Amino acid sequence: MPKWNDLQEQSFLESDARARAVGLVDEGTYTELAGPFDRFYSPHLEVLGEAVEFDDGIVTAVGKIGKTPVFVISQEGRFIGGSVGEVGGAKMVNTIRLAIEFHDKLVADYPDISDEEKPVVVISFETGGVRLHESNAGLLAHAEVMDQLQKARHKVPVITLIGSKVGCFGGMGFVAAATDAIVMSEFGRLGLTGPEVIEQEMGKEEFDSSDRALVFRTTGGRHKYIMGDCNVLVHNTIGAFREAVAKLAVLPVSEFEKMRRIGSPEAVERQLRAVALAAEMQPQDARDVWVKAGNPDPVALTDIPLDEFLADVKRLSV
Amino acid sequence: MALNTLEFDLKLDEVTHSIDTPIHLGVVGSGDMEVLMEPKDLKGAVSVRIVTPVAGFDELWKRVVEKFVSETLLGDVHLEINDNNATPAVVLLRLRQGFAEATGE
Repeated sequence: MPKWNDLQEQSFLESDARARAVGLVDEGTYTELAGPFDRFYSPHLEVLGEAVEFDDGIVTAVGKIGKTPVFVISQEGRFIGGSVGEVGGAKMVNTIRLAIEFHDKLVADYPDISDEEKPVVVISFETGGVRLHESNAGLLAHAEVMDQLQKARHKVPVITLIGSKVGCFGGMGFVAAATDAIVMSEFGRLGLTGPEVIEQEMGKEEFDSSDRALVFRTTGGRHKYIMGDCNVLVHNTIGAFREAVAKLAVLPVSEFEKMRRIGSPEAVERQLRAVALAAEMQPQDARDVWVKAGNPDPVALTDIPLDEFLADVKRLSV
Repeated sequence: MALNTLEFDLKLDEVTHSIDTPIHLGVVGSGDMEVLMEPKDLKGAVSVRIVTPVAGFDELWKRVVEKFVSETLLGDVHLEINDNNATPAVVLLRLRQGFAEATGE
């Protein structure tokens, strides 16, 4: 493991799950929960003769950023595409549950505790969703994570980070959308059905998954930022993600309601207006929507440096 | 079909290195592996447990681990490997990286 200071400058895109988890919290505060030495690996993969990993591809830990206790979940895309099975799913569920229980205890014992001292959950997604080898157990794990997100509402903010190679797709795309805030880098990708799957099911005319530019302007961080699907767009370093989390972590939990995509009548109304806009516009390409959002030169938006992009871009409001 | 588990012990005549803290290194990606190295009182021996989908290369696994142990003069360590079709060169590289991290060398 590189030194903490070097991790801050390290590319988030290229970092493995543990490096991301360690770099996201303050130096020396990282404690892994159910780590590799505890040997919680998948019993299903073993039966199938598939390689197993001691942490089942999901790193769970607790640490601090400033005064905020941070519960970290970090997915490893190199282990079976970051797929979520029974053991990894249970680790996610129980980390969020631990954060909620810790919050409740803190508030009961210290009624005048500040917002900054209340815990947050951070999930660094790198996954295509359910681990198909574990079918029902994997699906159930997704449902249980959703259940915990609902229980965390109005108590513990859950912050999504997306900037890893695999992106965040499949069932975990739904989970990410149900969290309170989403932070992405321009190399992060977020969606439900992944590009390859769309091509496989609907054909190359519908979606050419080998066209990287098309994939990124449909699922990538810049597009998601314009659409409002992601709240914060950051540079591709662990340090930049950490800074974004630090800024969010001190906010009162009520502030996160405004950032959410679902979960309130206002959010549902906004989503319905977006659907109506799509029906009216019939956009052929993401760029059509960028123009509609008030960006006269959409082609330039993909190529300019990130800082210029953030300064110039108009985001869609519906 | 099931995973292949190899377990064996190695013991050198002369042991000069051990480790103080447990080390975990690597990701079980395709063609890669992870290793746990834990200090353990084994009277100078090294105990090894390898879990791999590959069958029929038990002797080669032993030779690779033997090479690693004899070049590091390692003892009193328990090694545990989860493999996903790593080549011998990758296995040796990861073991050396683990040793370097454990001993700071």
